[in-house]
Amino acid sequence: MIVDPFESLDGFRSQWPFAARYARVNGWRMHYIDEGVGDPVMLLHGNPTWGFLYRRVIPPLVNAGHRVIVPDMIGFGLSEKPAREQAHSLDGHIANLAGLVRQLDLRRLTVVCHDWGGPTGLGFAMNNQERIRALAVMSTWAWPTPPADFHTRLFPWRTMHAPLIGPYLMGRHNVLAGRGVYLSVVNREQFRLEAQAVYEAVLPDSETRLLTWVWPRWIPLDDAARAQARFVWLEAALAKSQVPALIIWGREDEVFEVETFAKRFKRLLPHAEGPHMVTGRHFLQEDSGPEIARLIVDFLDRLGRA
Amino acid sequence: MAAVAVIAKPLAEGMRQALVLTEDRLGHYPEFRDFFVRTFDLDRVGLTEPGFVRAPSGAAYALVFVGRSGEPFPSGLEVYAIVEALEPLDDTTVDKDLWAILGWMVSGVGAPWTMEDLHATGRLYRIPAMG
Repeated sequence: MIVDPFESLDGFRSQWPFAARYARVNGWRMHYIDEGVGDPVMLLHGNPTWGFLYRRVIPPLVNAGHRVIVPDMIGFGLSEKPAREQAHSLDGHIANLAGLVRQLDLRRLTVVCHDWGGPTGLGFAMNNQERIRALAVMSTWAWPTPPADFHTRLFPWRTMHAPLIGPYLMGRHNVLAGRGVYLSVVNREQFRLEAQAVYEAVLPDSETRLLTWVWPRWIPLDDAARAQARFVWLEAALAKSQVPALIIWGREDEVFEVETFAKRFKRLLPHAEGPHMVTGRHFLQEDSGPEIARLIVDFLDRLGRA
Repeated sequence: MAAVAVIAKPLAEGMRQALVLTEDRLGHYPEFRDFFVRTFDLDRVGLTEPGFVRAPSGAAYALVFVGRSGEPFPSGLEVYAIVEALEPLDDTTVDKDLWAILGWMVSGVGAPWTMEDLHATGRLYRIPAMG
């Protein structure tokens, strides 16, 4: 089923004027947009959003002479949504990106990562460095436990995705795509008026919301976690990497707070620019889309002149 | 919150089981799986029959345990409302019953999991069952 998120939301459609494209990747149907010409920039979202998160970032990048590709993660947005938890894995999602990038034969690619777009996008980048021009990271992480104090607390994080509670809260009641994102932006009234209904609309039924409680369960909290070895590899690969990088963070981010995460990225990637601070909680693109675009454009311009 | 109680298998005549909640990874936090093993004697009973509970509305629910090769049993759990065969669900009642069943589960799992955290999470996300 291909969802039109704007079917009952005509007032919102003008915010997303981009042509829908679909590719079969790694066995799944992936939705993406592909706008503009130039060296490609791929914008990666996380849980529970979709490409819509970058609606204010895309036009300035295209206008600055970049080809902008924004895929919806399998399980989110307008992409296929597997019905079983076991369909999802970190490695599988990295392979999904590899499938798309190779089909489009993207080279000199800049990968912009947010939330789970970080472990997936950075994992793809480190395994395909010959295709990568640069990286940008925002409110994400790329190392083993513990990701943050927030993720180890019972209230609300571990409780909300605990067995049966996760499917109830996030499945029956869609709390992450609705109130969860609402609580993690700075300008909540603007978000409520402009965007909240769109995020909720692409996850219309319990089954379509599966990944909203599956991803939290993939965050490593101890050495026995499923993704532990992948994160160990990812951190080591990034530490060796000399790929140009940009760090952008939300000043008000309490999920991946700047003192822990942005500064750790800076230690991991000492050659990176930033961290550049913008207005924003975890979903900083909602509050600072044009400013984030400007930071990426300026960064890529400097790279082009170097 | 009214009590949730374990009950014997209810009469099936004229009733159907309606799937209302699915958990593919009951052992994500193993203490949750341990609670169901303990409560329904699953080491002995295995897959031979579901567990049954009575919820605050008076309705009965079947807890169908799911096994998966290579994982401790049960790996998953399906919750079915036992309703009149040809009648639709009362979704509001089911939702309140499920919230009560979750509370019963958290109480049974025990520390560090608490009803206070569950209710605080429900209030934070404005779950209708919290009123």
